Amino acid sequence: MKTVRIVALRQDRKRLLEHLQDSALVQIKRVEKSRSGFERVDMSRPMQVFERNVTLTEQALKILDSVSPEKGGMLASLKGRREVDPDEIGEIAAKSGEVISICKRLAELDKKRSDNSAERTRIATQLVQLEAWQKLDIPLNTTETKSTAVFVGTFPEQYSEAALKEAIAAENPKLEFVTEIDHSEEAMTCAVIFVPQSQRTMAEDVLRTLGFARPMGATSKIPKVKSERLREKSERLRLENEMAEDEIKSLVPRRSDIKITQDYFRIRADKYNVINNLDHSKHVFIIEGFVPEDDCEKLKELCERVATCTVDFEDAGDDAPVKLKNNKFAEPAQGILTMYSPPGKGDLDPTPLLAFFFYFFFGMMFSDAGYGLLMVIVIGIALKVFKPDKKMRNNLKLFQYCGISTTVWGLVFGSIFGDAPASLYNYFAGTTDMTMAKLLPWPTLDPQKDALLLMVISIAFGLVHILVGMGCKFVVCFREKDYAAAFFDTGLWMLLLIGLAVLAAGMFLAPVLVTVGAVIAIGCAVGLVLTQGRGKKGIVGKAIGGLASLYDVTSYISDLLSYSRLLALGLTTGVMAQVFNMLATMMGKSVVGFIFMVIIFIAGHLINIGLNALGSYVHTMRLQYVEMFSKFYEGGGKEFEPFSLQSKYIKIQEDNK
Amino acid sequence: MDGMFFALLGASIATALAGIGSAKGVGGAAQAAMGVLSEDSSQFGKMLVLTLLPGTQGLYGFIVGFLILVSCGVLGGSAPTLAQGLCFLGASLAIGLGGLFSGIAQGKAAVSGIAMSAKDSKNFSKGMVSVTLVEIYALLAFIVSLLVVIQIPNLAI
Repeated sequence: MKTVRIVALRQDRKRLLEHLQDSALVQIKRVEKSRSGFERVDMSRPMQVFERNVTLTEQALKILDSVSPEKGGMLASLKGRREVDPDEIGEIAAKSGEVISICKRLAELDKKRSDNSAERTRIATQLVQLEAWQKLDIPLNTTETKSTAVFVGTFPEQYSEAALKEAIAAENPKLEFVTEIDHSEEAMTCAVIFVPQSQRTMAEDVLRTLGFARPMGATSKIPKVKSERLREKSERLRLENEMAEDEIKSLVPRRSDIKITQDYFRIRADKYNVINNLDHSKHVFIIEGFVPEDDCEKLKELCERVATCTVDFEDAGDDAPVKLKNNKFAEPAQGILTMYSPPGKGDLDPTPLLAFFFYFFFGMMFSDAGYGLLMVIVIGIALKVFKPDKKMRNNLKLFQYCGISTTVWGLVFGSIFGDAPASLYNYFAGTTDMTMAKLLPWPTLDPQKDALLLMVISIAFGLVHILVGMGCKFVVCFREKDYAAAFFDTGLWMLLLIGLAVLAAGMFLAPVLVTVGAVIAIGCAVGLVLTQGRGKKGIVGKAIGGLASLYDVTSYISDLLSYSRLLALGLTTGVMAQVFNMLATMMGKSVVGFIFMVIIFIAGHLINIGLNALGSYVHTMRLQYVEMFSKFYEGGGKEFEPFSLQSKYIKIQEDNK
Repeated sequence: MDGMFFALLGASIATALAGIGSAKGVGGAAQAAMGVLSEDSSQFGKMLVLTLLPGTQGLYGFIVGFLILVSCGVLGGSAPTLAQGLCFLGASLAIGLGGLFSGIAQGKAAVSGIAMSAKDSKNFSKGMVSVTLVEIYALLAFIVSLLVVIQIPNLAI
């Protein structure tokens, strides 16, 4: 990684930045304060406009989705961005104004839609309230005529006409009145009461004690007429909504335009954001950033081609970001590494090792030739059909390589959709004694029968894995010239583990290996006791430190035992598949039985693939992170994030130069 | 009297206890995951992974139970002797109890993992690895049960 400083004329700023953004070669450094003699250009205003446009288009897309959801569902996320010719950008820019006005129109329509819906709900409640007054033939807000006071309202109790009269008379026998009940139900009576003007106050008192209340939102229209009007209005709003919806629907074909415009503004906002952080003088401006060593020439050539500028490179310091560079085989595993942490200063890039062991262990756990082939084929088709973007492509590739390894291990374990070939043979031939071992022409390692052997093999692979991890530590220490750490802390432990392994192997194979292994192990143990306390003070401290370090052997043993999961998960896949095959062929040889078999076979194996692929993925990752990385990998670096087109839907084709 | 009853009891213990452990673990994790999903449904994939992690104990128990059924004459093999039946029962206790308690414990870890990756999805892989730390104990129990169950039909007892 190098740092780069580009000094260019202000008039070339637009062109230069556009090319830098397209080529994604530089990560631009953000410095808070400008150096003396230079100043910043405030671009926050246009930036805000662009960002608002992005939000506007996002909203518009959401509205379109609510009317007609985009087809494709889950698979759509696999699809790569559309490639756009550089010349098309001008066209997009020219069209952007129109597209933004479409977006605004969409937002308007959507707002109208929701306002209308709210209004209709309000009308609906009003109609419910008016329902009780349909018989009334005077306006609800009538309070008096020349000679009588009129009370229109409700009582919080159920009355018949006679009962109401009685209740009022009981309160005040002197009151003269006429009542009419319009509606009565449990705990509510809607009534009109007429009294002479002279008795108005008296009537008010009586009614108050009875809990009388005038209706809310009373109008000067007769209830029946009012209801009719409200219904008409509601209907009109409904029609308006339908029209709005139709208009939105008519704009659905513009979806791709809106997406492109969104990206256009997103890209421009990014660019202005960068300009905001650049130092400008009257005639020139400065870009500072990081560039990968291999791209220096390319960058220099590009800058000098498009602008009048000077380009200087310097060695980057410790704060430089990391760009991982790997071959085709290892590249898919970079995602697994960055998920843990990009390599820090002094770390090796462990991606190739990680990739190899990831594929290897995943295959051993998933271990089924049928599933493996399925993975390879399905992913192959997905890559061809959807042409996904780099990140997604790498993820898919990772599983494709895992699929190859899965196939190989499946053949070793004699598992093709579990024991499907054998059980199908038995099903159709009516036999019961066909097994995979008889069917396959090569010798297989059956995890069920040879579980113990497979466990030893798993742990042996684990030992190799751990030793490789420690080997990396050795290389790192050696590179940093920390020879004591390289030989004493790492080398001795590696030898000790190898000695113990030889000893263990000797117990089964040849007694002479026991002696050899024991000698190596004891020699290393003595060496560890002598060297591990070297940081401590005094003879006693050194001795205790040395002895205590031997206790680490427990952690190595638990690490090794952890690899027994290779056996356990491998076995799980096989046995589950076998269970489904057994269930599938259970119904016997008939038409119904055949249909049953096909359904159970497909569903069962899909379930098994889902469950065990997840398990294999998670546990492989764990073996890398916990068992291997803990031996040597520090991490903590930052990823190289170049100034580039952060677009969601389109990408610019590279011009052929 | 042969050991069929004890063999079947063993198969039931392995499947049921480990299943309970997983059910509790996955259940708790699923509740937490749904809480997160109600806020942000785009996290579904990650949440699904974390929710399913405590589900393996049930599988292990089921496999041990299945292998017992295969070798004790129900789905193949021959009826066990009394001693063999008791051996099946004994072997199934490892994954039964191991799966029960490790499933519950892993479920709790998964809930925390879900909370952690809901806050910042960059923490997802760390959460996932931490949750699988619990799994090793279910695995060890499984392997013990498995190695014994596979050997029992060959034992002359």
